[in-house]
Amino acid sequence: MDFTLTSDQAALTGAIDRMATQFESIPTEFDGFVLEGRELEQELENGQYFDIAAIPEMGPIAAALAVERLARLPCAVEVALSMLVRPQLDIELPRPFALVEAGRPGRFVASARTLLIVADDSIGIAHPSPDDVEAVESLYAYPMGKVTGALSIRALPAEDAARVRTWLRVACAAEIAGLLQAAIDVTVEHLSVRKQFGRPLGSFQALRHRMAECAVLAGGVRRLALKAAWTGDAGDAALAALHAQESATRVIYDVHQMFGAMGMTLEMSLHLWTYRMKALLSELGGRGAQAAAVAQYCFDNKPARID
Amino acid sequence: MDFDWDEEQRSFRAEVRTFLDANLPDNWEELAHGPGSAAQTTFSKQFCGALAEAGLLVPHWPSEWGGRDADPWTSFILAEEMWAAGEPRGGQYMNVNWIGPTLMRFGTQEQQARYIPPMARGETLWCQGFSEPEAGSDLASLRTRADRHGDGYRINGQKIWTSYAGAADTCFLLARTAQGKGGISIFLLPMDTPGITVRQIPSIIGEGDIHEVFFDDVEVPEGARLGEEGQAWDIVRLSLSLERVGIPRFALASRMLHRAVDVLKKAGRFDAGAIQQSAKAHAACEATRLYSYNIIDQRCQGQPPGPEASAARFATVNAERLVAEFVVEHVPEALAGGDALLLAHHQRAIVAGIASGAAEIQLNLIATELLQLPREPR
Repeated sequence: MDFTLTSDQAALTGAIDRMATQFESIPTEFDGFVLEGRELEQELENGQYFDIAAIPEMGPIAAALAVERLARLPCAVEVALSMLVRPQLDIELPRPFALVEAGRPGRFVASARTLLIVADDSIGIAHPSPDDVEAVESLYAYPMGKVTGALSIRALPAEDAARVRTWLRVACAAEIAGLLQAAIDVTVEHLSVRKQFGRPLGSFQALRHRMAECAVLAGGVRRLALKAAWTGDAGDAALAALHAQESATRVIYDVHQMFGAMGMTLEMSLHLWTYRMKALLSELGGRGAQAAAVAQYCFDNKPARID
Repeated sequence: MDFDWDEEQRSFRAEVRTFLDANLPDNWEELAHGPGSAAQTTFSKQFCGALAEAGLLVPHWPSEWGGRDADPWTSFILAEEMWAAGEPRGGQYMNVNWIGPTLMRFGTQEQQARYIPPMARGETLWCQGFSEPEAGSDLASLRTRADRHGDGYRINGQKIWTSYAGAADTCFLLARTAQGKGGISIFLLPMDTPGITVRQIPSIIGEGDIHEVFFDDVEVPEGARLGEEGQAWDIVRLSLSLERVGIPRFALASRMLHRAVDVLKKAGRFDAGAIQQSAKAHAACEATRLYSYNIIDQRCQGQPPGPEASAARFATVNAERLVAEFVVEHVPEALAGGDALLLAHHQRAIVAGIASGAAEIQLNLIATELLQLPREPR
């Protein structure tokens, strides 16, 4: 048990952090739902960062750390599936990736070159042509799209589908971990600056305690996501995704309360993280499906002892 | 990063489990009801003696005090296994976790020679004389006084909610030697000193757990004081940071959660509602486990205790609450003559957010130190 990054992992996360720092700012004229990050995506492509999980010295844990860090940025880039799920497939598939569940609109579907089509227990792969997909206006702060054409879908063997589903859960948890942290950071800043009744909002115990509870939840999500990325275990992934969706449900509400009316305006950045989290709440079947997976993988014939 | 145990850690855990299998009697789970009961106190003395003989009571202590010089992981693995088993060490876990180490750091040679060897042999039980009727969360407002008297002190006052006081040999007592937070001192006080009266308060935690302790003109020599006059706050802050993650409550909570799920499965009652709640509780337990491991990792690297310890503590409170709520809703028979250890767990779970400092105090610390939010005006 050791929570220190190796020197290689530390160097990589340092590089990603430096890159991310250049994309922290939000253009002053921006007041929309989605801030796309094409320039960041290009830099990640150029630096071959989408392939870090496959490098033995880095592994999926480094990819999960990268996903978490990049999710904290105001711009939305398809990072999580490319970095964490794509390396789990035996064949080289073009990115961006997107998930399509039950024919519903999904994140990045309109720009994806590889679609993961989820239906019940099966997962299939499709490569849409531009005519097969279209962009959808939405409240979610991701570019959303839906499938409109008849796709040629290649079903994954059951074992591969199970593995992909596990890594989809890890990706979901790692992304939510970053979104939670960003939402908390921006709220803490607001509470430290905004004064009412003559003092900063953050000095009122009713708000301090709620924020502290949010921080504890976010820290738990981050730790569970990293552990799941390290073990690749289906049970760990289900626990991480469940805790992520549970915690996000709570934190989204709390941070919007903290921002009051200011958080309802698109001039404020809060929605960039909270409405992205809302898109993730329903993914992979939502909390009900994650709980069923926990029951399947963690409560079936497993002793409650640590090994 | 490495989330796996190394060979030495696995082998140590196996050693502890083998010991538990061999030394816990068949009726242990019934005994576990009432952590301060006469039956468990008697058993715990015998059990801790056997643990000491096997070198498993204080492995993380220095060898000069009967330990193995083992790292913080060793003591935490030991604590996990003990707590998961229902804590057969009873109140002696406090000696092992923080009272012994505090005396090693701040005690005089005489105090160390008198008190540490019996702890290392598993022969002695301590209680913690902190809270008072008017000083709970606001501990610094405590009123019990230790006035200079001859060559020593005369102590007058009252403590309350004191665990194990009825069976304890010694009290780790906080008393006021001057005004203000800097006027509190620590006394190591044998419980058979004339002038001490202990009264048990019936409690939902179980038999023999909570007490009132009265001090009427209790005379103690100067040598009973630990550290300097007024040093209590600094010493206790450090000691309680050891205590805060010293009880791996998630280990028993997780075991009881699995047991409750087994009960429901066998009865064909593991329905969608139970699945949802149990999975949520399990995720909270595992998040807490990782928080705690993070703290131990930091301790191994010599980092001072930070606000993450408060976050770990609050994560524990969440996990305990979710497991207790799951059990009471889905396995209600546990509180009415059902499984003895499920009952004992439920009795203790309520303590998670209260003992060793209310959870709300931890939330304040997290807000100020971790989030850096502005402080409340005083």
